[in-house]
Amino acid sequence: MTRLTDLPPAQAKRLAELECPDFATRPRVTGPALPQRRVAIVSSAGLVVRGEDPFRGRDADYRVIPANTRPDELLISHISINFDRTGFQEDWNVVFPLDRLNELAAEGTIGSVARTHYSFMGATDPVLMEPHARELAGRLKQDAVDAVILPPV
Amino acid sequence: MSALGHYLEEEGIATAAISLIRPQTENTKPPRALWVPFELGRPFGPPSDPTFQKRVILAALRLLERKTGPVIIVDFPDDDPRATADPAWRPPFIPAAVATGPADSLAARLEAESVLLRDAHQRWVAQHHRTTVGLSGLPIGECARYVADWLRGRAPPSPREGFSAPLILRFAVDDVKAYWLEAAAVGAAKPSSRQLGDWFWNETAAGAAIYALRAALQESEDERLRLIVSNFIVPAARVRAG
Repeated sequence: MTRLTDLPPAQAKRLAELECPDFATRPRVTGPALPQRRVAIVSSAGLVVRGEDPFRGRDADYRVIPANTRPDELLISHISINFDRTGFQEDWNVVFPLDRLNELAAEGTIGSVARTHYSFMGATDPVLMEPHARELAGRLKQDAVDAVILPPV
Repeated sequence: MSALGHYLEEEGIATAAISLIRPQTENTKPPRALWVPFELGRPFGPPSDPTFQKRVILAALRLLERKTGPVIIVDFPDDDPRATADPAWRPPFIPAAVATGPADSLAARLEAESVLLRDAHQRWVAQHHRTTVGLSGLPIGECARYVADWLRGRAPPSPREGFSAPLILRFAVDDVKAYWLEAAAVGAAKPSSRQLGDWFWNETAAGAAIYALRAALQESEDERLRLIVSNFIVPAARVRAG
């Protein structure tokens, strides 16, 4: 069991009090039942396909992860070292559950899996990510994605 | 990352977030979030446990079908079964003359240790069909050499165009950690992250070398280098007082 209370107090306090934008709206998009949904992963783990440009510092843009990426091609370039990487080393689904999504699609629990997935680097100021996130929404729509799962790290 | 969810929803795409830090999610108020009681770095819980992982991802996706809102934060009920230590795990054998010794031999011992772990790491790759080593773009021997040369006071130039030397140092340290931890986790035992971390930081030349690098360079005149070695090579939970 690991909870915020298990972290060093200073780190726990910093994480808990991290400043978040004060959003004026509460958007909430509805849609069909899961068997009709097309699902994409938008991670904030600083994921990058091997050989492509890793996140440097707090880059605010995102990296593209095609659905045919193999487990040995995905790396974490997140700037923070204060999280476990050994789980991801053993099994990428701990951070990037593409195999699980493919299984859910094969058994009909979800409709389909997106052609492309994405990763931001979560230590970046969200305000700087905003234009990239809005541009990404257009790409997701082009791929007919109507459900996004957002895992942190 | 709940803020991303907010932007995507404003653009018309439904999202379900995983939350590892509940107070952050309570502040950001995303439309739907599943809080999970797992350690940072494991949003879907235990490695090599597809059944458990599927329960987590489905619990998050099912939030998309809820009619209530605008903000739903649901708690996942179960802890990560892989968070407990495995008493059967044994770290790889490293002769004491390499793992421990005088500070002035640390750079050479780090390089020697990378060679000693080669077999274990090859077995890891055969077992899991992958490695997460590769951020620096250097083979592991060169990675160890690059870190060791910083420790020798040589301030080696960046070997990679477009990447500063301090950035390559950070990536090389990440690669060293990944190589050592993968080599240490090979086999049937299921060590917890804490077991692996205790071994790396307390019982290896590499761990000692990274501590020494931090101590040696955190007064550097190069601001970027100072920032990197102070904050991005030794985890906050492993920083030793003094």
